[in-house]
Amino acid sequence: MEKVDDLIKRVQFYFREVAVEEFMTSPVFTIRQEQATVRAKEAMRLRRFSGIPVVNEKEQLVGIISIEDIIHALENGDLNAPISQNMTRNVVTLSKKELIVDVAKKFELHGFGRFPVIDEKKRVIGIVTQHDLITLLLSKLSILYVHDARRESFVHVENYRSIPTGINLKEEISEFQFSIDYMDVSLAGTGASELKKFLLSKGFSPEFVKRVAIATYEAETNVVIHSGSTGIINVYFKYGVLIVRVEDYGKGIEDVDMAMREGYSTAPDYIREMGFGAGMGLANIKRCADKMMIISEPGKGVVVEMNFWGHENESIRS
Amino acid sequence: MRVSDLENLGFTRITDGDGDLKHGYTCDLLSEVMAKAESDTVWFTVQSHVNVVAVAAITGIRAIVLCNGHEFDEETIKKATDEKISLFTTPLNAFEAGGKLYSKGLK
Repeated sequence: MEKVDDLIKRVQFYFREVAVEEFMTSPVFTIRQEQATVRAKEAMRLRRFSGIPVVNEKEQLVGIISIEDIIHALENGDLNAPISQNMTRNVVTLSKKELIVDVAKKFELHGFGRFPVIDEKKRVIGIVTQHDLITLLLSKLSILYVHDARRESFVHVENYRSIPTGINLKEEISEFQFSIDYMDVSLAGTGASELKKFLLSKGFSPEFVKRVAIATYEAETNVVIHSGSTGIINVYFKYGVLIVRVEDYGKGIEDVDMAMREGYSTAPDYIREMGFGAGMGLANIKRCADKMMIISEPGKGVVVEMNFWGHENESIRS
Repeated sequence: MRVSDLENLGFTRITDGDGDLKHGYTCDLLSEVMAKAESDTVWFTVQSHVNVVAVAAITGIRAIVLCNGHEFDEETIKKATDEKISLFTTPLNAFEAGGKLYSKGLK
């Protein structure tokens, strides 16, 4: 779960305006307090819940029953007692207007797995789990895209909720840095060429470096063509993984899902005449990188993080 | 085949450089070239701006043949000299130019 908290912290900047009602699960399964505890246990087993909000006859929230509570009930032989006797009464709740930043803080502060969302009459209108926070939010906005080569063999679907490396890059020292401070598209790839030379000088193998350089070229070119601003390339090497992070401060991507499609491009004609804008950039990155993550929101720039590690028949050192 | 053989086949040399050629590739879309061209390649294109040098350097392309009588930008020539990429020009189109090498056995 620590990893999830980490991810939330890293992306919350991009989502801080999002309110609970936009990503909570609703309607929510609740259970009445006078029912036998064994009913809660069965509901959890069948529906694979790890906790259920408990309500009174007016549908108002009175507690929550979790797997831990069930274990206690089992230990005490209390499974036939009413749920009210075994549930946790001290429940931390959310209102639908609360912002994601506050939710992240509550997860961190209380260590609970879920928070019921209640209205002004204490009726349960939704629930937020850490899982919701990741899946619903990200898939709904589709502004974070993750491709992971390791997953592809067993998950044949694109996924929008893998967890990027838990490394806090802010604390790491970048081994290579390049400012994309030019706007002339014909210079695109200068940083990638520099990076290629740098990596070769550090003893990485030519095949490995080619993959890294191509992916970096595409990300760099995107900054120059699309961002309308400047950007920066940072490279880190940690735990045998090479991490290339290309960030810009420009206009962001409207629809990452569309942008990922091969052949889709928003490049203007003069750019296309120069041989750019074929709509292959992100597809090329995906092909070269073992893992890529894109975070973007209109007006807030783009972060492309690419991870590379050695393949079976490819040594990363020469 | 070697880069220097391109001169004997009638292509006009613009910048120095030599080395083994194992493949040829014809395309004007830069991302396509990045994705598909192999190392030790001669690349036939009509793109003459400086970015073709970056594409070549990253992909491992040794020589670029600019087709249809186009001319390279000054900046491209300077950059190619720095990066040791051999530039050539030809009045032929990309099909004819590539065909010359293909018939000599380059695939």
